Amino acid sequence: MVAYTPLDDIPAIFSDLRTTFKTGKTKPIAYRKQQLSQLAWMLRDHQDRWADGLKADLGRPHLEADFLEINPSIAEAKDAYLNVDQWAKTEKARWTLNWSVMKPEIRKEPKGVVLIITPFNFPVHLTITHVSAAIAAGNCVVIKPSELCPAICELYAELVPRYLDPETCRVVNGDVPVVSKLLEYPWDHIVYVGSGRVAKIVCAAAAKHLTPVTTELGGKSPVFIDPSCDMELAAKRILWGKLANCGQVCVAPDYVLVPRDAQDHFVAEIKKAYDTFFPDGNPAKSDSFSRMVTEAHANRVKKYVDDSKGTIVFGGDANVQEKYIAPTVLKDVTLDDATMQEEIFGPVLPIIPVKDVDEAISIVNEREHALCLYVFTKDPKFKAKVFDNTQSGGAIANEVIIHVGATGLPFGGIGPSGSGYLSGKYGFDVFTHQRCTLDNPRW
Amino acid sequence: MVETIQYTPLNHLPEIHARLHKTFKSGVTRSLVWRKQQLMQLALMFQENQKAIEHALHLDLRKPDLESAMMEVLGIVKSCKAFIENLKDYTAPTRPAVESSKANWNATIHHVPKGVICLISPWNFPWVLTFKPLAGAIAAGCAAVLKPSEVTAHSAALMAELVPKYLDPSAFAIVNGAVPETTALLDLRWDHIFYTGGVVVGRVIAAAAAKFVTPLTLELGGKSPVIVDEGCDTDLVAKRILNGKCVNSGQLCVSPDYVIVLRSVCPAFLEGLQRTYAVLFPEGPFHPNAKYGKIVSERHAKRLLDMLQATKGKIFMGGKHEQLEDGVRIEPTIITDVKLDDALMQEEIFGPFLPILVVDTLDEAISTVNELPKPLVIYPFTNNPETKQRILNETSSGNVSFNDTTSIIGTDDLPFGGAGDSGYGVWHGHYTFKTFSHERVSIDVPASEEHAMAIRYRPYTQEKYDAICRLASQPLMG
Repeated sequence: MVAYTPLDDIPAIFSDLRTTFKTGKTKPIAYRKQQLSQLAWMLRDHQDRWADGLKADLGRPHLEADFLEINPSIAEAKDAYLNVDQWAKTEKARWTLNWSVMKPEIRKEPKGVVLIITPFNFPVHLTITHVSAAIAAGNCVVIKPSELCPAICELYAELVPRYLDPETCRVVNGDVPVVSKLLEYPWDHIVYVGSGRVAKIVCAAAAKHLTPVTTELGGKSPVFIDPSCDMELAAKRILWGKLANCGQVCVAPDYVLVPRDAQDHFVAEIKKAYDTFFPDGNPAKSDSFSRMVTEAHANRVKKYVDDSKGTIVFGGDANVQEKYIAPTVLKDVTLDDATMQEEIFGPVLPIIPVKDVDEAISIVNEREHALCLYVFTKDPKFKAKVFDNTQSGGAIANEVIIHVGATGLPFGGIGPSGSGYLSGKYGFDVFTHQRCTLDNPRW
Repeated sequence: MVETIQYTPLNHLPEIHARLHKTFKSGVTRSLVWRKQQLMQLALMFQENQKAIEHALHLDLRKPDLESAMMEVLGIVKSCKAFIENLKDYTAPTRPAVESSKANWNATIHHVPKGVICLISPWNFPWVLTFKPLAGAIAAGCAAVLKPSEVTAHSAALMAELVPKYLDPSAFAIVNGAVPETTALLDLRWDHIFYTGGVVVGRVIAAAAAKFVTPLTLELGGKSPVIVDEGCDTDLVAKRILNGKCVNSGQLCVSPDYVIVLRSVCPAFLEGLQRTYAVLFPEGPFHPNAKYGKIVSERHAKRLLDMLQATKGKIFMGGKHEQLEDGVRIEPTIITDVKLDDALMQEEIFGPFLPILVVDTLDEAISTVNELPKPLVIYPFTNNPETKQRILNETSSGNVSFNDTTSIIGTDDLPFGGAGDSGYGVWHGHYTFKTFSHERVSIDVPASEEHAMAIRYRPYTQEKYDAICRLASQPLMG
């Protein structure tokens, strides 16, 4: 049982980090690199313990833990370690006749003391990515991981003080009262990854101190199927993405839009994919399938399925006490269905038959912008039509989810799916103040 | 003949909001031809109405025509031209560098418009601070609602007349009004809010943006300090500072707010100020030839005069004001013997007062600056490289401009913005375009990549697990 940080400790945590920041300790590149190296080792040295923690909290199979979370996190820290010199260098502004004599430059300065609040679904990757960016940018950091993952929270509480400098990086554990207390302070930046509902609360608190906030939220990421695509490949990739982490991924393919007369073909292929994933037809017994994070979340998703008016292709069962929701696909789903009202965040895939791509586009445009939009097609015109006539955080063709793991690509939302980016230099920039300087000559 | 300002009826706002969103969704702003055409129209609006704009600014602020032309009109035309020239480059998708294992993913970053922008602008530079951000929004492919300040009513009224004539009204609208109209506007959802103004209202805007988790740019202000070091040409220093202070009677976000001067050079510096004053205003600031502006409103004039009344410092130069039929003018006023707890040091002055604080060391100068919230800009006047480094390393601010004041806002290649209480977000030139754009990542992973992807599929076997571990077991560092 992870110990929650006493509320009375929080004022001192904040002021200690502020004091340390003022000493300039986090600014030298050598210090930042040393901390980043420690961050990577913290994961690598205890990789099994982190994987066990993910298994305990999320039922995550070891393979998924390593592939989806721990290895990409180490890669982020390593990427920052290798590039921080470059990223932190003062930039010279573009040469112009009028201004160059005044030496216009852009210094990359740390913002100061930052707060990172992360969710339960990828408690390692979503935390480490931001922490590594914040440290690379020279900040002091408070990490507030999700209390819904107690094993992981304990690991942070134990390992962060051992590997990172407690004068510049602290872990705070707890639930709502602890977060509310943290939000009373004038952070220099807050990163919040989670739900839109809580994001509003975070932003409202931040507004009082004029604290800039980066939000990574979610939404219903739609999948467009072009009937002439490689259906077998599409079905396999989509089902893989849907079932990764038991569907609890902010960019999980939420629902599928397929032309009516291609629905059966798609359904047949997704059944085939299901049979290859679970050859004995029993996902509940498979060690290749995660669980929902809590019984409450399992109940939430079970209700979507129970109330759905779609036809079950496979799945539909649940065991809430085990936090188990069966991989479920529903066809002939309509827009007013129970599965279409909120982000599902579970291993349930509604298929909505549409007349054509135009109808699919207008369905998506009537809804809030999602974090990601997926298209399966070989036709560049189809792809362009869908991308050009919609808005979303990312626009991905012929794959799902994996773009988040590519360092160097800005991952971020638009509208209700959030604002700001993470990964690589984009993450570094989030935590950096670009301080412009001019040095005017005497004439 | 300038019209009187008409406030937009509150019940018109939902229709305006719906119209702009509908236009954006129709995709018409995506066309680069359309954007260029709107930018040309915007430039034309300024070129064809320069006199009318100067006249409105004269009525609003008694802004001298030279300042209006230089700072409010000509800059926009230049901006529009620059955006037109750069549009292809700005909008061209970027192919970023990715790891070799992802080389076949066709990773691309598309710079797409965020949607419909809400642009709220202040009274001190009403034209440039409304239309320069708008030019960036147009270039980015956004639609926008403009809410200029009602305090500069003649400008706002002229804008309401000109904008529908030059820009496409299905994509761009002006809303005029005061607090109720702004509040109603912020009850609707926008895709980005760009606010330039004061820190108190900045918090209100941030709270409103939080309701929809709307991304926000806050260009606020603060007390931008000047530090005068030893070893400078005090006449040149005085000239650059006083000139900067007099722009718009100090009503400028990057106005040099107060001066911290080293004791040893204070007398020479004050003499320099006297000499500059005489050159700037040979017949005094209120003489018609001086072309010296007024304080924007009675409320602000009262705020400033109360502040001056309450100072415990000594008025060295200036101090007088005159009541005109259209407002109040206050002389550029230099006040010495000012301490940190003075009435002049509690908030951004935003007026023609220059308090002088004397210190004995650079340490004291730096700690004085650090006592106050982070300003938009710090102006050190020094030729000593070590002093420059110390100031850069030991203070924090939006920007730093050595050896001159105010010129920093003219740069179009620097990301201009604040820190802490002076705001967040950046703009100018390409940075404005980026502020109103979303970086939309795209990948397209061909079937031929399946061999690399195969290990992720179920059933998870020991073989697949071992393969994944092998991938990760490469040396960590180096």
